[in-house]
Parts: sequence; C-alpha cells; structure tokens
Amino acid sequence: MPLIKGGGKAAKDSPKDAGPAAHLAALKSTDADARWSAARALAGQASAVPALAEALTSETAPRVREAIMTALMRVGDEASVKAMLPCLRADDAGVRGAAIEALQSMPDAVAPFLQFLFGDSDSDVRLLATELARNMPEAEATRLLCALIENESHPNVCAAAIDVLTEVGTRDAIPALEKCAERFATTPFLPFAAKMAIARISGTEA
Amino acid sequence: MAEAVAARTSEMKRILVVDDSSLVRLYYRAALEKSGFTVEQAINGLEAMEKVLSEAFDLVIVDVNMPRMDGLAFIAALRSEADAHIAATPALMISTESERQDMLAATSAGANFYLVKPVSEADLVKHAAVLTGASP
Repeated sequence: MPLIKGGGKAAKDSPKDAGPAAHLAALKSTDADARWSAARALAGQASAVPALAEALTSETAPRVREAIMTALMRVGDEASVKAMLPCLRADDAGVRGAAIEALQSMPDAVAPFLQFLFGDSDSDVRLLATELARNMPEAEATRLLCALIENESHPNVCAAAIDVLTEVGTRDAIPALEKCAERFATTPFLPFAAKMAIARISGTEA
Repeated sequence: MAEAVAARTSEMKRILVVDDSSLVRLYYRAALEKSGFTVEQAINGLEAMEKVLSEAFDLVIVDVNMPRMDGLAFIAALRSEADAHIAATPALMISTESERQDMLAATSAGANFYLVKPVSEADLVKHAAVLTGASP
C-alpha cells in the first residue's frame, strides 16, 4: 500500500502533486515558497509529524511557520501537540500567538497536557496555557481552571484564567473565583475581574 | 483628587484600548472614562488598525499577546503608516511580559512607554494623562 503514495505520472508532473518524500525534502529547502508548499501538502499526514516538528523548530518565515502549524493541527494527535508546545516559550509574540490559535483548535488532543502546563515553572507558559482551555467542554475547562486559580501565586496567571472562566465557566467556578478575589484583594484588576466573571456566569451582569 | 485633576485636563482626549480580554478592556475603560477620557476598544491588532485608519486617537493602549495581530506587530504597522499624524499616535504597551528583552522589543517596535500587568487604575490614568498631553 505505501507504494501508492509514491504517486503515478501526475505526481511527477508538478511539485504540487509530488509524493510525500519530495514534500519532506522540500521542508528543508532554502526557498520559503517551497517550504510553504511542502507544509501545505503534508497537512493531515501523521507520518509527516516528526519532519514537520523538526521544521517548526528552525522555521523563521511566519507564513511557512503557520503552514506547518496548520499541517500539524490537521493531524491533531498527541505528537502534533508536543511539536507545538515549545512555541509557547518563544520570544516572538507572533509565534506564541500562532501556536495558541493552532492548539486551541485541537482541544481533545491538548486536554491531557493542560494539567502539566498549569504546573510549568514559567508563569508565562501557565498564563498562555489558560487560553487552551477556552475551546474545551465547559465542565472540564471549569474544573481545570478552578484547580489552577486555587493554588496559583501569580496574579497575571489568575487573571488570564478568570478571563477564560468568564466565557466558558460554569456556576461551579464561583467559589474558586470568590476565594481568588479574596486572596488577591490588594492586587489591581483581580477583584474586579473575579466580580465581573461571577456576574456573567451567574447571569447577574449589569 | 488625581481623578479630578485628570478629568479637568483629559476632556475630549480619545484613547483606543486594544486587548483580547473583555475584562481588561472593561477595567481600563472604566478607569479612563472616570477620569474624563473617551475610550474606544479593539480586540486585536487588526481591528485596532481599522480603527486608527478611520478615526483619530490621542493614545493607543495595547496588549502584547493577542490573536491575529499581536501588539508589537500592530505598533510596528502603526509607525509605518504613510499618514504622519496616524503614525505618530502615542502608544502605551501593557503586558504580562516583564523581562528586559520584552520592553526592548516594545520600544523597538515604537511603543512610547511600557507597563507590566497588573496595572493599577492610578498608574493607568497617570500614564494616559502624560502620553495624551492631558497632564497638568
């Protein structure tokens, strides 16, 4: 069966229809257009995840990077998530943002990693990880985010979690929100955010 | 007292708040409007660009991490605008990123000042007043 993937005549006629091996090789091309085309052609192919993951670590062109992330997103498995998680630590805000958007679109595959991410030693990673709960089922997102804000010491991480809870949280989040507001009573913004979140969740927003 | 002073001097100063968090936008808006500023909002850099190209603002307050177009990309695009008046709009960047390299990235992109979250109402109003020229 794998021989079929090598392609027939049409596959040899244009780069667009080239076989997987050619696309994998093109991921290392010095030409950004060729890398972009290769990433798009490999979208959704689980066997290409290791090569896409490797390419992602060194890719500098934003549109190629986004094509690689989209390709990984379309596979949507554990390996694809693992390939993109390092991007949450990127210095470039554009890389972090693109990774968040891609990971948000694969909530089932991301779910097993969330607890691990919420325990990361880097508060920036914990903060960004809260965004990954936004597209998860409400009950699961509420459980994970409440567990986070009950123990989290960084106000910005709590603020980010509260922001997500405001949209996806259930009434089960209210006690944790109240405790968080008390714990950070003297911190700018947090008591306000918790109050607004509770009002929206309970349907009493002004 | 600070609010009263700001209110006297900030009348008609228009500020665009750009943040993907609706809670943050609400918080900034409440603080700034209480001090007499007029506030518009955008949820990301792309929406902010549309607004600055169609309306004049005395200040943009921008988050760094946002979907579609982040704050650094937005400020860089703002500074590249052909219309000199738009390109010169003061920009206050507010972010969770507190490392020196983040602040350097913000100023390199063209931010006039950088604050680290969480920001108090007093700090927000004070910097808004200074950057809009509303300061007494």
